[in-house]
Amino acid sequence: MYQYSDKDKQIVKNRTREFLSQVKRRIDGNLTEEEFKPLRLMNGLYLQLHAYMLRVAIPYGELSHIQLNKLAEISEKYDKGYGHFTTRQNIQFNWPKLEDVPKILNELADVEMHAIQTSGNCIRNISCDHLAGINNEEVEDPRPWCEIIRKWSTFHPEFSYLPRKFKIAVIASEKDRAAMKVHDIGLKLIKKRNETGFEVYVGGGQGRSPFIAKKINNFVKKRDLLNYLEAILSIYNEMGRRDNIYKARIKILINELGEEKLKSLIESKFKKFADKNLLLEEDEIKKIKNYFKLPINNPIKSSIPVKKNKEYNIWLNQNVIKHKLAGYSIIMVSLKHYNQPPGDATAEQMKKLSIIAKQYSHGEIRVTHEQNLVLPHIKNSDLFSVWNKLSALKLATPNIGLITDTICCPGMDYCALATARSIPISQKISQHFKDQSIQDKIGNIKIKISGCINACGHHHVGNIGILGLDRNGEESYQISLGGSADEKTSIGKIVGPSFSEKELIKAIQTIIETFEKNKKNNEDFLSVFNRVGIDPFKKDLYDKSNP
Amino acid sequence: MTKVILNKNKVLKNEYFFVDNLTNLTKSNSENLIVTLSQWLDNKNTLSKKKNIGIKLNSDESLSLIKEEISFFKIIQFNFLTFKDGRPFSEAKKLRVELQYTGEVRASGYILPDQYIFLLRCGFNSVEIESEKKKFWLECLKMDTGLYYQP
Ligand code: SF4
Repeated sequence: MYQYSDKDKQIVKNRTREFLSQVKRRIDGNLTEEEFKPLRLMNGLYLQLHAYMLRVAIPYGELSHIQLNKLAEISEKYDKGYGHFTTRQNIQFNWPKLEDVPKILNELADVEMHAIQTSGNCIRNISCDHLAGINNEEVEDPRPWCEIIRKWSTFHPEFSYLPRKFKIAVIASEKDRAAMKVHDIGLKLIKKRNETGFEVYVGGGQGRSPFIAKKINNFVKKRDLLNYLEAILSIYNEMGRRDNIYKARIKILINELGEEKLKSLIESKFKKFADKNLLLEEDEIKKIKNYFKLPINNPIKSSIPVKKNKEYNIWLNQNVIKHKLAGYSIIMVSLKHYNQPPGDATAEQMKKLSIIAKQYSHGEIRVTHEQNLVLPHIKNSDLFSVWNKLSALKLATPNIGLITDTICCPGMDYCALATARSIPISQKISQHFKDQSIQDKIGNIKIKISGCINACGHHHVGNIGILGLDRNGEESYQISLGGSADEKTSIGKIVGPSFSEKELIKAIQTIIETFEKNKKNNEDFLSVFNRVGIDPFKKDLYDKSNP
Repeated sequence: MTKVILNKNKVLKNEYFFVDNLTNLTKSNSENLIVTLSQWLDNKNTLSKKKNIGIKLNSDESLSLIKEEISFFKIIQFNFLTFKDGRPFSEAKKLRVELQYTGEVRASGYILPDQYIFLLRCGFNSVEIESEKKKFWLECLKMDTGLYYQP
């Protein structure tokens, strides 16, 4: 795992001090709320429906057990005893008081954490594959690259007042577990003629107008990466629209200018003005890579305990993945227990999970963009013991990838921008489909729910996407089908007129029935949808003459 | 409200004039002028015969219209319409790196002391601010430790 250098520590400390002075100026009336807003946002502090919300950065989703324990403590001390893991691999606290925020930031700094650039019109936390470094498919571990980009993008003097927020994701295999193509910049490590470099995708995004990122470069050399990113950001800062916040993301710029034009502007900036101080030399890259060496090096002989326990076996099958080193496994820790809002973890769960991670997973935990956690390095022989412990904490719901593993934004329960509730919808879905045999029969499917058009719940890329709307004061839910955030990224198609909260579960049930009717062999939902198209679903949902 | 010009932590004497209307030029104020982009474009011929001319661009005005004549200007002033408009940060950098401009680059308008260090790091030399806010600017400058992640 990455460890702070003295410089990192100092920079975070300074930022806390700076923020303290900003809070003071705000309270003394020397900063207006309008002026304070972007400054506090750059420190992850939102003003929500009922209170402030603090979003803490979990760089590329990686946590130590010490950090997780600290998050638990903070949630107890300054909040209501829980935290919410987000689709960008961060964590949010929903109830901190403004005057406590500098204290929270200080406590975070003690464990090498912060809230820097978790919101505001700047470069946000870098997303990464939650299986980075521990799967067999990747070209190399993408995490060092996330760290290199994290540094470069932190307090960048030129890019802290961009037209809009800016999100970057890095992956390193054909499999995309980070929704790379719905980021402003998506980077994919590839190997060409024995050299590793990056494919560069630009202009993906969700929100009001969803776009899939377009590939603008087939191969950027490693050493040139930062200069290339700098060229993209510079063009965006200069040309991105500032007259309309809904048109301010780079996805709009690329569509208005055209792919070729934007590409040529970026290329010429890159070629002419690359800064040699930004070139990444091998020894520097190596230095960063050293931080990310796995805590385990060699395959071992260790087998998975065989038990007659049915629940354990279901869990093994659903929530446990092979590690790249033989003898080890990866545990997906579900934060989708049927009675808990998706992505929420209580202080007790976090504390005890931190102890489990320390004891069994070399102290490491990861956060997925699907709002679950990962214990990355578990010895096979420990699986039964860990399952027992997770079960007791309600962290072993065997639903990873299944219909009750929904992604869901905070919606009307917390968010000031919401047009409808989203958490209760996901809970209803969970209740309706919680029978394990039903879930197994349906198989892999991704339901994603947003409480408004901003799409924080990724509904555009859900196999079933649900968008909460306000229709004359009534909550109503629009359904889209066929979206996907993996390597075959696609934007879902709206199936038709929206449903009231009451009708919604029935509609989803109908969609599942249509799927099952059309399913051949072991096809999953998306394959069926891609084969039969939207019409059969439409027909079953809306055609009343249909028996 | 009185304004002062700050260069790092020093107050500079303002050596430049603005005139709303160029026909009002008298002998005493016909040099050391800062003109707006439209004044420049409309009166290029007369202005280019004068000495010590600067130009003021609003943050939504692009450098591209004066790219060819950049070295003529003694000072280029970016006037922020709002502190949220980050374009001048890139424009200043472009002036220094791409256009090799060596004159003075100044920020004015609606800017926050919290942006001071970023401004300096992007190639600005001076800021025009309200004199009563000076202490906040100096405080922000003092918080700079020189530790950065970028070159
Ligand atoms: S999608 Fe809308 S309601 Fe949900 S968190 Fe984002 S802004 Fe809030």
